Amino acid sequence: MRDPNAIDFWRGFALVTIFINHVPGNTFERYTYSQYGISDAAELFVFLAGWSIGIATRGRDGKPEPAGRSVVRLLARTVEVYRAQLTVMLLALALIAGSALLLDNPLILEWHNAGGFFADPIQSVCGMALMTYQLGFFNILPLYVVLIGIAPIFVLVGRFSLIASLALSGGLYLASLVFEWNVPSWPGEGDWFFDPFCWQVLLVLGFVLQGWHLRSDTLRRWSRRLIPAGLAIVILGIVLAVTGIRPDPLMVPEPRLLFTFEKTYLTPARLLHFLGVLLAFAPLYAILAPRIGPVGGYLNRLGRNSLAVFSMGSILSLIGQLVRFQTGGGVLVDMLVAGSGLVGLGFTAWFVEWRTRIKSSRPRP
Amino acid sequence: MAYPHQVVPAPPVRCARASGLRWALTALILGALAPAAAAEQPADPGAGEPGLSQECRVPGAQLYTMAKLGAVRSALGENRPLKILAIGGSAAPGASASYPAKLEAALEKALPKTDVTIDHRGLPGEIASGAAERLRTMVAEAEPDLVVWQVGTHDAIARVDADAFASALSEAVAWIRSHGIDVVLVDPIYTASMAADVDYNRIVDAVRTVAGQQQVPLVRRYEALHYLSSRSDKGEGHMLGRQFRLNDLGLRCMAEHVALTIATSLMRTEAEPEPKVAPAGPPLTAPQRAPG
Repeated sequence: MRDPNAIDFWRGFALVTIFINHVPGNTFERYTYSQYGISDAAELFVFLAGWSIGIATRGRDGKPEPAGRSVVRLLARTVEVYRAQLTVMLLALALIAGSALLLDNPLILEWHNAGGFFADPIQSVCGMALMTYQLGFFNILPLYVVLIGIAPIFVLVGRFSLIASLALSGGLYLASLVFEWNVPSWPGEGDWFFDPFCWQVLLVLGFVLQGWHLRSDTLRRWSRRLIPAGLAIVILGIVLAVTGIRPDPLMVPEPRLLFTFEKTYLTPARLLHFLGVLLAFAPLYAILAPRIGPVGGYLNRLGRNSLAVFSMGSILSLIGQLVRFQTGGGVLVDMLVAGSGLVGLGFTAWFVEWRTRIKSSRPRP
Repeated sequence: MAYPHQVVPAPPVRCARASGLRWALTALILGALAPAAAAEQPADPGAGEPGLSQECRVPGAQLYTMAKLGAVRSALGENRPLKILAIGGSAAPGASASYPAKLEAALEKALPKTDVTIDHRGLPGEIASGAAERLRTMVAEAEPDLVVWQVGTHDAIARVDADAFASALSEAVAWIRSHGIDVVLVDPIYTASMAADVDYNRIVDAVRTVAGQQQVPLVRRYEALHYLSSRSDKGEGHMLGRQFRLNDLGLRCMAEHVALTIATSLMRTEAEPEPKVAPAGPPLTAPQRAPG
């Protein structure tokens, strides 16, 4: 088990934020930082995933592990995340269908685009296995599968030159913005909610920055110097979010995606805002950690077990939505939903660690 | 959808239709006061709109409100293909009879010599938070002449405040229209367990209010399904129960209902010359309570 650290802490923080934001309309939504900026917790989550790949594939001295081992490690992780996606999708569809049956309410079948599945299970089940059929709010894991699946390319290039790795990634990002490349949805029309060709840039950025961070002090010095710029971006983000000012996608010049604020394509404005958030808030952990005691421990535990916690969080937030819907919502229900959800996330993390300990200390039956 | 076959070759029928339309508007306003009146209208003797298939027949007053469709009109006038962005809702059971395919067929039947292309997209999430932004993206990508938008279900499920929903929807519709793109709204479904739900009815009302204020046609799916549910007590059973059977019927009828609303609104757009702005669309500013 890892010691508490900034990465796990912020990842835990992102997981809690995503959980709250995935129960739309609830009272606590307005207290999450996603409401006060252009980018949100999804950016943080993907960036930290990249940073973690850096940690996992490099020793403390910055020396990379054997290439073959990195590739197999990432492949194993891809399989793990894919399995989680299938499990979570099946449970989500069963929850939606089960509630519709129990409450005799076919309206529920339309939830998060699940209607497509029940109308056309033959194609949809193939789409589910291919991850081209996604439910609303259940679209981060498919992105994650693709990102970790293609990560070996950037990791291997990065062994020769981190700059080359970043240039390759940035080139793909820009090309995807200009030519609007995305992975199609199927069955049904449209594209993925999280465009992997664009979002990969954040993963690679995390991986590359972790490498530079290990190698020299330059990055640390510059990130300290740029804190004021980060704060300025954060403040600008708050102003834009609160006033609702954003570019009109039909009025901006071509190529359109360079100028808009779209989450799907992680457009430059969102990327820039995220970097501002990173500069402004990254130093906060060192200040907070000694002062928040159990909260820090809780978030660290969530962060250490992010896949299990995220998967469980998706299911718990769907249950929370169903509870809110059936009871009509309200502050009390919201407190119950958020409270039991946070306990559930904590329990999940504890359970995974307990199981790992048991597994490693005793022979398997 | 057989309406042009009845209308185009025979002008007298067209007059009858026009008066029927006027009646529909009157009935709509009367309907708020006396909902029972609708079924007794002589122009529509309980059989529902002609041109709809038997199982989908609903009286016009309970099916739609009309408004002008200028962008669609000019697309037809210039003989270009009609580009429609259909948002929300799932296909009816059975992939071959999917909603976009049926809508395309129904519209091409209703508007002969017109090539209709339909881009169908799901839009999960709430209009009041986030989904409206995603809609802008979709519109910018598709650049359609017309957006047919099934709206309100997700906000109703998330228990979004009806006023917040109405203002976000109103803003989104105004934005689409400001770019010279027409909008047809479709309100959420009727199902028995939601009929007495106050919040749900407020969302249904909000869609209607916004359609009235923004002067866009509205497919009154809630009313139509409510009508069909009262009518179709008999018939084959559904293994999941009556509400599910009604829901399937609603999905099957969606395309016809939307196509009829578009065709009727188009006729109205033609009938009234552009400068005459004053009586455009029934001003449904006073929200009408959905029954039940």
